[in-house]
Amino acid sequence: MNDEKDKIPFFKNWQQWYVFEILFLILLIGLFFLFTNYFS
Amino acid sequence: MTPLDWTVLVLTLAGIIAYGLYKSRTTHNLDGYFLSNRSMHWGLILLSIMGTQASAITFISAPGQAYTDGMRFVQYYFGLPLAMIVVAAFFVPVFRKLKVYTAYEFLETRFDVKTRALTSFLFLLQRGLSTGISVFAPSIILSSLLGWNIYWTNLFMGGLLIIYTMTGGAKAVAYTQQLQLIIIFIGMFLAAYMVVHMLPQGIDFTDALHVSGKLGKLNVITTGVKEGKFNWSDQYNLFSGIIGGFFLALSYFGTDQSQVGRYLTASSVKESRLGLLINGLVKVPMQFLILLVGALVFTFYQFNKAPVFFNDIQLTSINLVYKDSVNDVSRQYETLNLLKQKTVYDYSVARKQANDAAAEKHITSLRLLQHQADSLRSKLKSWITKSKGDSNDTNYIFLRFVVDYLPAGLVGLLIAIIFLASWGSIAAALNSLSSSTVVDFHRRFSRHKISAEKEYNISKWWTLAWGIFCIVIAMFTYNIGNSLIEAVNVLGSLFYGVILGVFLVAFFFKRIKNGNAVFVAALVTEVAVLAIFALIKTEYLKLGFLWLNPIGAIGVILVSLIFNSVLTKKNNCGPLLQFSQ
Repeated sequence: MNDEKDKIPFFKNWQQWYVFEILFLILLIGLFFLFTNYFS
Repeated sequence: MTPLDWTVLVLTLAGIIAYGLYKSRTTHNLDGYFLSNRSMHWGLILLSIMGTQASAITFISAPGQAYTDGMRFVQYYFGLPLAMIVVAAFFVPVFRKLKVYTAYEFLETRFDVKTRALTSFLFLLQRGLSTGISVFAPSIILSSLLGWNIYWTNLFMGGLLIIYTMTGGAKAVAYTQQLQLIIIFIGMFLAAYMVVHMLPQGIDFTDALHVSGKLGKLNVITTGVKEGKFNWSDQYNLFSGIIGGFFLALSYFGTDQSQVGRYLTASSVKESRLGLLINGLVKVPMQFLILLVGALVFTFYQFNKAPVFFNDIQLTSINLVYKDSVNDVSRQYETLNLLKQKTVYDYSVARKQANDAAAEKHITSLRLLQHQADSLRSKLKSWITKSKGDSNDTNYIFLRFVVDYLPAGLVGLLIAIIFLASWGSIAAALNSLSSSTVVDFHRRFSRHKISAEKEYNISKWWTLAWGIFCIVIAMFTYNIGNSLIEAVNVLGSLFYGVILGVFLVAFFFKRIKNGNAVFVAALVTEVAVLAIFALIKTEYLKLGFLWLNPIGAIGVILVSLIFNSVLTKKNNCGPLLQFSQ
């Protein structure tokens, strides 16, 4: 088992995963904001 | 419950125990028992992390919370994805590199044995007590709603899972959590489907959302700002969710052995990281959907007769003193219910016909009626409080709906998922309590070398001992008042911040090397956090409990920095002034 050589799924490196995680959260908050306003 | 419900309930629970026992075969050493020989795939890690965090309280309380306070509780999870990044990037590689069994082992490598023992002790205290509440919380609700004996319910809730947790360790915990979560998701999906299906003819899912939204239940995003000022005592808003939630999630996933123990079972750093990061992606939407079920139940009760109070036992208990008043309030509530049913239907029809003026008129009336209904409920709650009863019926709302309205068979399945959700988190807690006791205390302070087989046996007995401890705590827990999900989170907030602070110093403040400085800082800050909590409870201070997490963590960092510089200066003065190590 060699952690370093393991291929990372979906992205090239872990940094891209972290950025994606943050962007996904921002997108969710944005969608929730629209959801709240649309139905209120 | 009908015979069909009982059959579904018994078969589901027996199936899980059998599956747990089937998956129990593991090597007879600590690696096998606590870490499943570090062999798990990320998918199993993900489900295990989710199953550990989502307890029965999550599925009982959250829909009730949406019913009473709206969906804004989801903001509490906004800090979680950010915490997942920090844990994946910094914590996981260090834990893996050092091949630790518990997170606290790392603190001995970094500082000293007493810092390790203190944090492990705080974990055992907090996790042991909160697991006891996790046994009691669903038991008291089920026993009240179904008339079951609370002691037997506690025993089944906290006892049956011990069979496979004790035998199979981390492996049995992970595999049963996987199956439990699948059953839970199926059950919750069916419940949500039934709520919409049982709405009056012509009222669909979108109509239900409009009704719920207009009555303030779809308030997913709130800022906590009122009249230009930020309300620090507001529990759930965007800022407390991101900042407070981040610290709480970071301490929970980075330093709580019940979670660390899950992702340490992964076969590599990659598998641990993927499990954590994907948890960060799915947790918020999952919580959103659970809360949405509560908002839909709220809409359902606009079209149907809603109980004035969802916990019948409390209502009966005040009947002796307030009988006439209760009857009077119930009658008024029923009349309001009928008016609401007509108004909400008229609103939905007007909205569908795009008759904005009529829709606006109906919704204004509906809000007024809702306000009057809330006032009646408040009146009733004040009588319950005066009679020293539990005036919070949040935890009873969803299950009361299940028992009163769902068809036979589905009731049994939903009662079963309460047990399963409970077992998933309790099993992981027992496994982690046992691992911390054995690895951080028994093995660390034992004078003799213990064989692998003996360590394995000791670990099994500690799992049983902690299981019994949690059941005993559950037996003695009575009427903790607030929403139970909050009670567990408040308890966590009292200790998590400090534990996290110690870990943050260990990871990010490399120049702090003095174990004494961190140890004293942790003690001082813990006392300060408890003092602040006492001020909040006695209403001398208005502060949401989530803020205790950043206070604890930042407090430990600052006090460590001060003590470290003082002790380093003293050490430089000469050997006579040195603290004993």
